[in-house]
Amino acid sequence: MPTDTKRVRGPDVSQSPFLFWSRPAEVLPSHEPRADGRQRDQVDVRPVFVRCGLVSQAKGSAYIEAGNTKVLCCVYGPRETERKDETDMKSGRLTTDMRFAPFSCPERGSWIQGSQDKDFSLMLQESLQPAVCLHRYPRSQIEVNVMVLENSGSILAHAVTCASMALADAGIEMYDLVLGCSLRQDGGSYVVDPTYPEENSWRSGSREKRGGLTVAFLPSLNQVSGLQSDGEMAEETLTAGIRTCIEGCYKLYPVIQQALIKAVRRAAPPAAES
Amino acid sequence: MATVQVSEAEKVYILHGIRDDLRVDGRSCEDYRHMEVETDVVSNTDGSAKVTLGHTAVLVGVKAEIGKPKPMIPNEGYLEFFVDCSANATPEFEGRGGEELGTELSNTLYKVFNNQHSLDLRSLCISPGEHCWVLYVDVLLLQCDGNLYDAISVAIKAALFNTKIPRVHISSDDGGGKEIELSDDPYDRMRLDVENVPCIVTLCKIGHRQVVDATLQEKACSVASLIISVTHKGIITCTRKVGRGSLDPESICEMTEAGKRVGKALHSPLMKLLQQEESLGKKRQKVGFLG
Amino acid sequence: MAAGFKTAEPLEYHRSFLKENCRPDGRELSEFRTTTLNIGSISTADGSALVKMGNTTIICGIKAELANPTAEAPGKGYIVPNVDLPPLCSSRFRPGPPGEQAQAASQFIADVIESSEVIKTEDLCIDRGKLCWVLYCDIMCLDYDGNILDACIIALLAALKNTQLAEVVVNKETSVPEVDLEKRQRLHIHKHPVGASFCVFDDSILIVDPTAEEESLSTAHLTVVTDEEDRLCSVHKPGGTPLSGEKLQECINRATTRQREIHKLIDKVLDSVKTSQ
Repeated sequence: MPTDTKRVRGPDVSQSPFLFWSRPAEVLPSHEPRADGRQRDQVDVRPVFVRCGLVSQAKGSAYIEAGNTKVLCCVYGPRETERKDETDMKSGRLTTDMRFAPFSCPERGSWIQGSQDKDFSLMLQESLQPAVCLHRYPRSQIEVNVMVLENSGSILAHAVTCASMALADAGIEMYDLVLGCSLRQDGGSYVVDPTYPEENSWRSGSREKRGGLTVAFLPSLNQVSGLQSDGEMAEETLTAGIRTCIEGCYKLYPVIQQALIKAVRRAAPPAAES
Repeated sequence: MATVQVSEAEKVYILHGIRDDLRVDGRSCEDYRHMEVETDVVSNTDGSAKVTLGHTAVLVGVKAEIGKPKPMIPNEGYLEFFVDCSANATPEFEGRGGEELGTELSNTLYKVFNNQHSLDLRSLCISPGEHCWVLYVDVLLLQCDGNLYDAISVAIKAALFNTKIPRVHISSDDGGGKEIELSDDPYDRMRLDVENVPCIVTLCKIGHRQVVDATLQEKACSVASLIISVTHKGIITCTRKVGRGSLDPESICEMTEAGKRVGKALHSPLMKLLQQEESLGKKRQKVGFLG
Repeated sequence: MAAGFKTAEPLEYHRSFLKENCRPDGRELSEFRTTTLNIGSISTADGSALVKMGNTTIICGIKAELANPTAEAPGKGYIVPNVDLPPLCSSRFRPGPPGEQAQAASQFIADVIESSEVIKTEDLCIDRGKLCWVLYCDIMCLDYDGNILDACIIALLAALKNTQLAEVVVNKETSVPEVDLEKRQRLHIHKHPVGASFCVFDDSILIVDPTAEEESLSTAHLTVVTDEEDRLCSVHKPGGTPLSGEKLQECINRATTRQREIHKLIDKVLDSVKTSQ
């Protein structure tokens, strides 16, 4: 364990009080209604609150809140690329950095970026890249920074949506918005836009045919730009799940569009002097 | 990632070939290149395997060590993955060049293999909350000629099949404390059940079709691929889109279907081969690296 | 025209405002930006607060964990404050380990906690010599527009006031702690330290609550932290041009009035949170 000399250090070991909670975690039943009152087996996404342009220093920014999941994204650039060794200078580079605030999960996270965060950053990058007109930005890089303030499930999906809004808010040329939607398969039934307990309930109880799925979707081009699944799923369930997620993305689409229009109106009021 | 430069004319040639289900090297779209598997190649590991697929060569070693279970899952052991992108494989990996690819690969491998669906992680537990087996899976890329995921996954399955973990007994001493005792018999070793361990199939979208086991030239013609891990029952355990392009929802369905078909067919010959090799025991002629 | 002047000669631009006793954003020299607070919005944290001072946004989340106390201080717990300035909050910060500014801010906050006795580490002891609480106070900047130290202290104080610790009983026989997360208790806040930051322009003009631009143009910075009994907890003046004693007294006076304003604000927001529950 390398010591971190650049931060205020606490004790060497500390444990989360959750480990000593005498009451065992409740097993979420797989057939009863969901804890937040949403419907199973239906494209019932959490209502989202979205807002663009909250961060004054960034070129573009967006904030999304779905249930308790809270994600903030800032976009900087395009600016001169840092890496000079890239052979392909004709198109720009899109860099992504996704981080979890230490207090964002039930278990406290570390300040140091773990491999999981890097994996999320990579998936975010792969999901966003098809939508950005990178050939319009030769020799430059566009930085996307995502900060998860609170993780209450479907984090990658909301990060993708939030990041594409921030890119649009920054005026980066794009082919389309990218919207994300997650799904949790649980035996024969599924839940859309799962919460953190729903995502992690599979540890307890039967573990037959359970899996998670996240889709990133370009709604007006009808293209899937990101796909990630884990767990155990039959091929039919997987393809059906992808369709359900796409439906979820379409539900989100008008909300995101409205937020962007609002942000543009605020930045350039119709009655502004030219 | 190792890349090659492909001219426009070559691209058209490859594309047209694939449209007619005939690839540059004579394969059809769902054919693998020639694959060789050899287990027990590194003597100081608990299990190892080397796989060559075309010119792609990977070596996987498994080491079992006693560790502490993760606090949230006290009754399971776990796997750790490390992918070493040796500069031997391609000059691009020199210095820190291979690091990014290494983390990408090891993260995906962790998702594919470290779960209850693939291995019985509970069998790796020695005493709940205190001791468990940690399997360190080290992947060494010796040569890159496309389709790393598939080659690595086959090598991991073979290496896990080959893995022998010493049996341990827990005895309590006088003070009520627990002590771990290693079995005296060096042949008294535990084997892993690898039946459900999935294999990864990478499908490259080229033109309107998808190809299995793409070479570097073919990969340069495609903008997006889909990684699908499939068990012997044809159940899909992990998927992931990689590459800079996007895919049509319809073609994703086609690709998963093709992936399931190809992946399912990959398992039984592999298991047969592994069992055959095992039955030969010490008589087996070792091929080694230069063979 | 004005925009061009601002980019070409930022210092002159600011000076021309300061001559008229006002600032480019319309504030007077001793006026703080509008400060808004949001307390308890992060449900995964044991206590949290979001502070906005103008554009500057700081979030503080507190996570409590269990640990063994040190041998030197068996009756004390730990408070571990860290300030992070991620690349998200401004283009001046790069990814990677914390830079100098973040390290200095973390140390400053740690010093304020210790010198002001906002909470006593003795209160965090559960079982002397065996078990205590660690409060990880993670403070993060989400939008960097100057004067983060003031905002950090407010965020920390508000988050501490919001923190509720679970009840812990150490089982006498097995000496294993038993936690009841449903029975929670508030922390006892002994003091309410609040900071006020100043910038010196041209060695003589003092402005309060500087923006990022004002910070970069000024010749000296000063942060004064006082508590409700008007006692000085910390005076932080890292280098820069010298300052007369009179001016310093002026700053301290401004800081004490600021302390009362913020103390009132925190209590008001906490009350509204309580009544809405």
